Amino acid sequence: MWKAALSTFVSVVLLTTFIFVVWVVATHDYRWEAIAPYRNNLVSGWLVTLLISLASLFLSVFIGALLTAGQLSGHRLPAFLCRVYVEVIRGTPLLTQILIGYYLIANAIDWHSSLGVGIVVLSCFSGAYLSEIFRGGIESIPSSQWLSARAIGFTGAQTYRFVVIPQAVRRVLPASAGQFANLVKDSSLLFVISVHEFTMQAREANANTYATFEAYLPLILGYFLLTFPISLLSRHLERRYRYEH
Amino acid sequence: MSIEIQGLTKHYGATRAADGIDLALGDAVKVLALIGPSGGGKSTLLRLLGGLERPDAGSIRIDGKEVPHDEETLRVWRRRNGFLFQSFNLFPHLTALENIVLPLVEVHGWKRDEAGERAREVVARFGMSAHLEKHPVQLSGGQQQRIALARAMAHDPALLLLDEPTSALDPEMKAEVLDLIEELCQGGQRIILSTHEMGFARGSADAVVFLGGGKVVESGSATDLFDHPQSAIVKAFLGKVMKW
Repeated sequence: MWKAALSTFVSVVLLTTFIFVVWVVATHDYRWEAIAPYRNNLVSGWLVTLLISLASLFLSVFIGALLTAGQLSGHRLPAFLCRVYVEVIRGTPLLTQILIGYYLIANAIDWHSSLGVGIVVLSCFSGAYLSEIFRGGIESIPSSQWLSARAIGFTGAQTYRFVVIPQAVRRVLPASAGQFANLVKDSSLLFVISVHEFTMQAREANANTYATFEAYLPLILGYFLLTFPISLLSRHLERRYRYEH
Repeated sequence: MSIEIQGLTKHYGATRAADGIDLALGDAVKVLALIGPSGGGKSTLLRLLGGLERPDAGSIRIDGKEVPHDEETLRVWRRRNGFLFQSFNLFPHLTALENIVLPLVEVHGWKRDEAGERAREVVARFGMSAHLEKHPVQLSGGQQQRIALARAMAHDPALLLLDEPTSALDPEMKAEVLDLIEELCQGGQRIILSTHEMGFARGSADAVVFLGGGKVVESGSATDLFDHPQSAIVKAFLGKVMKW
């Protein structure tokens, strides 16, 4: 009885809110012609965001895997250093990391490509989160599997390659996909070092035309076009790796 | 196989899983059963024999060869033997066939098609040919244990170590797996197993060792130990487990 009442209540609230939002957004008096000249800028910004996302995705997986390996290495110093890295990165704002990375660290080694530095900083940031996801996945493999691999005569490397990682991959997919979607959205903060990505182009278009909604609404579609395929791919892979039936 | 164990000790924290085990068995023993109460040290002794754990003190010799102490040589030792656990421990992401083929290829250096052929042969012998392409979750406990046994057997192990191979199975499946183990015994396979199946230990083992509190309480031939137990602990234990 109370279950039915609760689900009706939730449905009504969600539906009403949704209809209200769509109505407000749809009935706004838009000036699309004001933003039209910035069309190409928005497209190029979207492509830059796509490039940053793809590059950071691969680099952050690599960094995440290294950090996980360091933490699980069984050697105290690397484990400690990786732990400190992960805690510092996760405990401080990305915005600050981007500023320090570009204006202090990259500057000190005379590297002035804001796009390049942006990709690296973003990957270092996302890699810290991924390493925690990876570590959780590996530690969730039951000890009976390790024992069995040992009894068969596998080396440590073989145990990871044939037994642990194939099973861990499926377990970390959903959380990793979430992190990749965050990565795409977090790339919008790179405007502070004037990377001409998607959000930066929308800000510029807005600044020049005062057509705020016309400039920012395309962001919804643009970012969703990037994050939704990640979600679909993750579901697809999860199904492929499902060996329970 | 001859087995000589001297002063074998293994502690886990305050638990004395092996507390100075001494044992000497002659060459005539092909099948050795370890019996006794849970927590008495059966699993620990099996793991030490199989080189899965390293003892805190003491030594084990099988056929005059000492079980090694360093990881590298221990791995070679493990590869020569086959190990079967109570809880099957198949790899869930691989099919039954792949579970058997993978160790043959990656550990024993067989060619993939030879390994596949060998796996099919062993599985056919165990009456499991229809289930080769299934994943472990699609198999019953008894079927999983038969595949796990096939995996432990496929490389013709010098010694097969079985840790309570039927404890997690219902009676019908128990019988299926025990039949297979009996068949292996008949075929001359050297086996050391820990078990709560007293009927099986009595019928199939050449020697029986009773472990309690991490020590050998009594050892001897199956008939000696079951018909004429010497120690009060063994008498009480057998009295209880044979009652039903």
